Amino acid sequence: MSGEEEENAAELKIGDEFLKAKCLMNCEVALILEHKYEQLQQMSDDPTTQISQVFEKSLQYVKRFSRYKNPDAVRQAREILSRYPLAEFELCVLGNLCPETVEEAIAMVPSIKNRGRALDEEAIEKMLNDLSLIKKFE
Amino acid sequence: MYLKSKLSWNVIIPAEILEVGGLMLQKAIIVRLMDEFASKKASKNLGYFMAVTSLEKIGEGKVREHTGDVLFPVEFGCLTFKMLRGEILEGVVDKILKHGVFLRCGPTDKVYLSHQKMADYKYVPGENPIFMNEKMSRIEKDTQVRFIVVGARYVEAEKEFQAVVSLEGDYLGPISQSSV
Repeated sequence: MSGEEEENAAELKIGDEFLKAKCLMNCEVALILEHKYEQLQQMSDDPTTQISQVFEKSLQYVKRFSRYKNPDAVRQAREILSRYPLAEFELCVLGNLCPETVEEAIAMVPSIKNRGRALDEEAIEKMLNDLSLIKKFE
Repeated sequence: MYLKSKLSWNVIIPAEILEVGGLMLQKAIIVRLMDEFASKKASKNLGYFMAVTSLEKIGEGKVREHTGDVLFPVEFGCLTFKMLRGEILEGVVDKILKHGVFLRCGPTDKVYLSHQKMADYKYVPGENPIFMNEKMSRIEKDTQVRFIVVGARYVEAEKEFQAVVSLEGDYLGPISQSSV
């Protein structure tokens, strides 16, 4: 990123670290933090000293905003989204917000409609359908 | 957005602890790393530091001349959180003020939605003030809201990010509790 002014996630103009690195969906973060929380409690006799506020608030947040709760559903959601040509960032926004219609999906992640993307409306629709199936069978 | 990052930090172990060696030393390094990670809290580039998730490598220790403490370079994986301009996120209403509301999102509660960025909502005063629009859609404490990030800045002194967000856009606004 050359300057902060240019950052715009809607156009996928985001820092390199966010384009290349692994972004995580809220439900994935919830699994990691819950596991970590148990570990921290075992490690220390006085758990309050080990667990930071940042940690605690985030755990509450991701539990509340996880679309998929059980680990299998979380894995399946990423697996389905990974079949489509999405950037990591786009994949996670879709997994977090679970749009119900193609129109909503494009409003949430406008960059998926950019010219040259191998993702037409039909493909987006199929993706959303597959995602909603996981939710049904969870 | 939550992000998995790889970082390299130096961890200083006091001379007294070094005598134990072996596994205990490794444990001491990890504990020290986690303490420092938690107390560092955030940085401008990476955002909030959530948790250390993996230990990749502990390098050769270097003895510091005067104290005898040893400095270990440590490579580790961690989880961070940063709000990006243009990103669409969901949060929870924390405080209602006359000119807007504060929301909680991830590790932060410094997310501000000004009344100017939700023009159809009007402030309704009272013991529990709310914002409401003509379609009777309500924004009150604990309402879940979907918003777009207009800007975020890092305040070094407080190690906090402050974000300004908006409801101007399609599919933004309060979300029904049942859908989450």
